[in-house]
Amino acid sequence: MKRRISIGLAVVLLAAVVVAIIFGSGGDEAEPGQQAAVVRGVGGSEKAAFFADPRVVAVFGKHGLKVEFDSAGSRQIATTVDLGPYDFAFPSSRPAAQRIKQDKKVNKVYTPFRSPMAVATFTPIVDLLSAQGVVHKGLGEYQVLDIEKYLALTGTRWDQLPGNTAYPVRKNVLITTTDPRNSNSAAMYLALVSHVLNGNQVVATPEAEAKVLPPVVKLFIDQGYTQSSSEGPFEDYLAAGMGKAPLVFIYESQFLDRQVRGDGSIRPDMRLLYPQPTLLSEHTLVPLKGQGGRVGELLSTDPELKRLAAEFGFRTDDPQAFLDLLADRKLSAPADLLAQAEVPSYETLERLLNEIAKYYR
Amino acid sequence: MKRVIATVLAVAAVVSGCSSDPEEKPASPAEAGKLRVLAGSELADLKPVLDKAAQVTGVRVEFTFSGTIEGSETIASGKADGRYDAVWFSANRYPQAIPDAARRLGAQAKIMTSPVVLGLAKSKATELGWVDKPVSWSDIAKAAAEKRFSYGMTDPSASNSGFSALVGVASALAGTGSAISAAEVGAVKPQLKGFFAAQAMSAGSSGWLSEAYQRRATGEDPGAKIDGLINYESVLLSLNAGGKLPEPLALIYPSDGVVTADYPLTALKDAPEHARADHKKLTEYLRTPDVQRDIMSRTHRRPAVPGVELGKDFTAQTLVELPFPATEQAFDALLMAYFDEIRRPARTVYVLDVSGSMEGERIEKLRGALVGLTGANNDLVGRYRRFHGREEVTFIPFSGEPQQPVTFTLPETNQQAELDRIKQTAEGLETEGGTAIYSSLERAYQHLGAQPDDGRFTSIVLMTDGENNSGLDHAGFQRAQQQRSGRLKGVPVFPVLFGEGNKGEMEDVAKRTGGKVFDARDTDLQKVFREIRGYQ
Repeated sequence: MKRRISIGLAVVLLAAVVVAIIFGSGGDEAEPGQQAAVVRGVGGSEKAAFFADPRVVAVFGKHGLKVEFDSAGSRQIATTVDLGPYDFAFPSSRPAAQRIKQDKKVNKVYTPFRSPMAVATFTPIVDLLSAQGVVHKGLGEYQVLDIEKYLALTGTRWDQLPGNTAYPVRKNVLITTTDPRNSNSAAMYLALVSHVLNGNQVVATPEAEAKVLPPVVKLFIDQGYTQSSSEGPFEDYLAAGMGKAPLVFIYESQFLDRQVRGDGSIRPDMRLLYPQPTLLSEHTLVPLKGQGGRVGELLSTDPELKRLAAEFGFRTDDPQAFLDLLADRKLSAPADLLAQAEVPSYETLERLLNEIAKYYR
Repeated sequence: MKRVIATVLAVAAVVSGCSSDPEEKPASPAEAGKLRVLAGSELADLKPVLDKAAQVTGVRVEFTFSGTIEGSETIASGKADGRYDAVWFSANRYPQAIPDAARRLGAQAKIMTSPVVLGLAKSKATELGWVDKPVSWSDIAKAAAEKRFSYGMTDPSASNSGFSALVGVASALAGTGSAISAAEVGAVKPQLKGFFAAQAMSAGSSGWLSEAYQRRATGEDPGAKIDGLINYESVLLSLNAGGKLPEPLALIYPSDGVVTADYPLTALKDAPEHARADHKKLTEYLRTPDVQRDIMSRTHRRPAVPGVELGKDFTAQTLVELPFPATEQAFDALLMAYFDEIRRPARTVYVLDVSGSMEGERIEKLRGALVGLTGANNDLVGRYRRFHGREEVTFIPFSGEPQQPVTFTLPETNQQAELDRIKQTAEGLETEGGTAIYSSLERAYQHLGAQPDDGRFTSIVLMTDGENNSGLDHAGFQRAQQQRSGRLKGVPVFPVLFGEGNKGEMEDVAKRTGGKVFDARDTDLQKVFREIRGYQ
């Protein structure tokens, strides 16, 4: 867990995205010697490691705060988790945050972190998919997974691919996601594939919804059982390997975080693919009570916290902090991501997810 | 089951206080530093790890054991609310498929993993040409249909290893490349029938199955030796490591995939705040590399976290994971087809004490327990444990002497009329007279001896509430058992202790027949009768 602190890393101000400013968020620097106030938050599991990091804990401590963070699926947070005990919610996407914001009549939210969605895989799989034209080189030192071509291949089993001796498995070519009923990364997958299935346009009409629904239902139901938070399938990818999950839909930050840690969990045959089009997940903090807003404010303004966020693989408004980290750790990731898909409106996404949920009965 | 649970509980009770019945005992009060966990019974083997965890983290685990489906029903019904802080089964696939259970599950962390695979005596695996060679579920199903080997497996409605095997083999045989759906079950029934034709033993728990396998292999149990087991890799490796098997098991990892248990320790959403904090503290500790290695070396389960190298006992083969269905509908279609159409049907004789001492409340309980097996209570567990299609059930009520056997044969479909007959007969049981336990048991053997050897799972349930005081005595039974022919000698007897039943004698009967005693003195008789179904 101990990380080498990068000296060459430029510290750049990351501006918080403040959706609406009506009330100030209050809260001042702690007096020295004053006991830290406990602030409780709940959010996507991919941020748990950040809040648990001793250096992050120390920075909050300096400001008189002790953040206790619980993991839960973003959609669960927006719908079923009892938010009563929490001072802030920190779902991984804007639509989930929007729902909580409306429900709890919150005026001001923060979007300190963002992360493109990506697909974690293995070299033999990359080779097989490259031969099928599904994977190709991106504009920089990274590889791209063409979603449209991938979708065309999803009815095929791995062992049916011509010349496949590396992974002759009797399972369909299919990306592993989380459970669409309660997790944000699955909702992001839905946003991405629905965009492509709708002729590279965001789904915004009842007709488009009806058109994309049958194929997206199949993409989820064919997977069978899925886990409810994004750390689940990524951990399987890291621990169980190619036999369990050859293609896993994750946040780029999850992969980078492990690379930065240098704990050996990213083995040499592991690869990260960027879907084309790309899709950005915007981790949005919704203050609920007490010092919750103060956490959002610090994450958006404190230079040390922002630098640490980059070490956990999160991108911010300022690309430079992220690029410096990559350079320092000799990692590669795209600087700019072109052709971004748009996330449907909260209402559309919810309707689609509710329809998909019916097929799990 | 009760006895295994009792043993397991005695072990676990050292870690913590324990209760065996999720619904009958009063709830243990919530308190900081104590995590009340509804769990699969196989987790009892983590005791040393949890003892150490309690010292390091200050969080003590208090286990209550239950099967996965039963536990899922407890969660879904709301009966776990306020009573447990967390659940810990071999997988969350089942509760996650039941909406009322799924919405009560909170934060979860996988602690360890173990795939369900086939273990075969080495000579048998060699004979089949399955050593160091890819073997698919289709290969296994084909050899099973040809009766080239036999195996034991747990009841899929009682235990996760049997459930995983059923779902895994069905998905693999369907070969659609995706999770099997309810509609696809029909197409694979013939192949599944072939696969299950070779099943020679059933059990309600993975632990009992592996013990019984070992007892048969060493000749301690009179039942026919069987060639292998479908069970967790961890159970099979432990059997090999135990060194008691006359010949080690070769582990066969089907090339088209396995189903892996991942043991997620899962907080319940409405658990008190201190319990959720304790859950977090404990799971973080259990997932540290040193503890993961400790778990691996003690239990032969694989680590759940990345970066912990596998020990050398484990195969280097890449394990393909089969997609597992996510819907209760698919599970239900598979389970019902398994019980009514696919598995080898059972032939069971119920030897039932209706002596004078059973009068009043006791006979009422017996009637109720039998009626419960006719599907009268259509709850989830009851649905899978009732008498099923193709099954043959015989009642021999006895007092001073055995009554005439009454046999019921359930058709494959439209079973209601026969179930109603069973119900009426059970409701008509009347008490009178003495207690001729062993003469009545002999009558059951006589009945079974007159039946054709048609490959049914055959067993006897012996339910009595008192001492033998008429007819053949216990020594007479021992002599008769010694002289019995091979086929009848291996028929397991499952004695049910009730009222003042003689524990020592009943244990002896179970031991000499390869059966198992079920204790209904403190537990609802209906529950016990349901539990025995897993072994029939």
